[in-house]
Amino acid sequence: MTDVLHPRPSPIIAAMYTLRDLDVDVIVMHGPPGCGFTASRLLEEAGVTVVTTGMQENDLIFGAEQRLVEVLKKVDEEFSPKLVGVVGTCASMIIGENLDAAIKKAGIRSTVLPIDIHACAGPNTVGAIKVLEVAASKGIIPNEEFERQKEMLMRATALERERGMTSKPYLKPHRGATKLKVAKRIIEYLSQNKRIAVVLNAKKETAYRFADVMRAIEYARRRIGGYVVYVANTDPNIGLPRIRRYSMDILRDLREAGVTVDYLSGGLDEYPVAGERAAKYLEDKGIDLRVLCGLPHAIPDLRVEDILVTDQPRELRNFIDSGFTFAVGEISTHSMLMGARGIVNSELGDTIRELVDEVQT
Amino acid sequence: MKQIAIYGKGGIGKSTISANVAAALGERGLNTWYIGCDPKADGSMTLLGGRKIETFLERLRSSPGENRPAYVEGFNGVKCIETGGPIAGVGCAGRGIIVAVQELYKRYFADNIDVIIYDVPGDVVCGGFAAPLREKFANEVYIVTSGEYLSLYAANNIVRGLENLRVNLGGLICNSREIRNEERIVSEFARKIGSHMISFIPRDPIVRECENRGKTVIEGAPESSQASAYRRLADAILKNSDLRIPKPIDPEEIRALLRENE
Repeated sequence: MTDVLHPRPSPIIAAMYTLRDLDVDVIVMHGPPGCGFTASRLLEEAGVTVVTTGMQENDLIFGAEQRLVEVLKKVDEEFSPKLVGVVGTCASMIIGENLDAAIKKAGIRSTVLPIDIHACAGPNTVGAIKVLEVAASKGIIPNEEFERQKEMLMRATALERERGMTSKPYLKPHRGATKLKVAKRIIEYLSQNKRIAVVLNAKKETAYRFADVMRAIEYARRRIGGYVVYVANTDPNIGLPRIRRYSMDILRDLREAGVTVDYLSGGLDEYPVAGERAAKYLEDKGIDLRVLCGLPHAIPDLRVEDILVTDQPRELRNFIDSGFTFAVGEISTHSMLMGARGIVNSELGDTIRELVDEVQT
Repeated sequence: MKQIAIYGKGGIGKSTISANVAAALGERGLNTWYIGCDPKADGSMTLLGGRKIETFLERLRSSPGENRPAYVEGFNGVKCIETGGPIAGVGCAGRGIIVAVQELYKRYFADNIDVIIYDVPGDVVCGGFAAPLREKFANEVYIVTSGEYLSLYAANNIVRGLENLRVNLGGLICNSREIRNEERIVSEFARKIGSHMISFIPRDPIVRECENRGKTVIEGAPESSQASAYRRLADAILKNSDLRIPKPIDPEEIRALLRENE
């Protein structure tokens, strides 16, 4: 395995996001106040209450079980939550804090999921798997759903290792091609009446923004002409209830924008396999230009002429260095989607619309 | 499955007792596992003819994905594992025990095991050393002590840990130092903390002689009275249903008890 030098997301943060996907009311971070701070703020914007036990030096030495017990009691009093997740951190897990015991001692009314995880535990997906495992053991999700998601998460890890951001020891951030260059290319194909395929292969909430590329291209098609096939991994019948809601929101907004999805390639948690299905579906469609949004590297046999739309600057570096000159970035996508319940405009989408409007007027 | 952990003051004879009990259980045909939790990894040597084995953590470090059996089979079919850990002055031994115990539980322990014995170093100290006390790992604890003040003091401290962690004590094992009234002292102390003395192991030079040959007494001197003492202890542990969460006492009470029995 390659030793990766650039920063990677940690299992702790993946655990927090997975708890959010399970619709927990409160996440208790059992650790020093700064642990998971950036993610906590974002998650609070998505409606999850995140609190910390605020461990200090003395708690490392003497143990912080009592702190956790008290915070849980306070959480119960203050928020009367139904479902609570207690997430370990490096500090608490290295000293062997017993989350289970503290939860029992607190004896609160809500269901509490103890997530024994820390950043040294491995790839970020380990944290997500841990949450799902605990949720299955407490009957929050069926065991088959746990197994399905675990399989997806393991495939996601393998995908990152093979073609993604852990495939190279160091990737220097890159902002990708300009939106203008990419938008012009799309409009050029439409005006030549060529066949475009837009594939949304996105991970959970990021789909709220990547789906806008579909809306913009449809907007352009209606004014300029051309032929477009739409493929999206927004199957509303797959995944946790929250993730299904995302799919329903997106399908509703696409419908309103006049986009008919020709093929549903899977659920929003299935991007490691949905990309393969999308590519297969498009095989015999005589497509001239593919616009691949979200996690394009999950689509097999990328071609240098493909348009790749993604959000991570290091992912962009990976694409640009591999010769994909039409790789374009929707930077900071994640942070602007917290709490979203509908498609959010993308920079590429806005550029396409603006160009089309200029041509029209 | 019986999952037991042996605690006690350093140097009191935990490993000798653990290994001999494991050998006695193996002799009865029980599927017995000995898990040495000391980073020195020397507890299982008498079960293995004096041999030192590759530790579990060392293997995890050099070949993380490997799934070959984690144990080395010792005398009487006892499956031996040494968790291992960092060398002195480096890393965190407590964390090592946590990782090893979790991995063993997840990957290797199956329903067909009759007894797992965790031989834990010293007193309960940090969360790592307490890991074998977590409910899914060990469900009963035995404390090895003698009639001397310091080992009773250490035992009392372990009792404090058990009370705090709400773990059952199966009883005290008196490993004799040939103190006057020793059996009475340990029995009385056991009663005071809300437990009982499950066995009295006499002091016998045969233990040292066997150890020098890299053997348990069960193997090296199977006909000896000392071997019988270990067999009796193994039986008592197997049959024991008197498990209780103990209560520590004031160390001054220990001293008073000792003065009364001088």
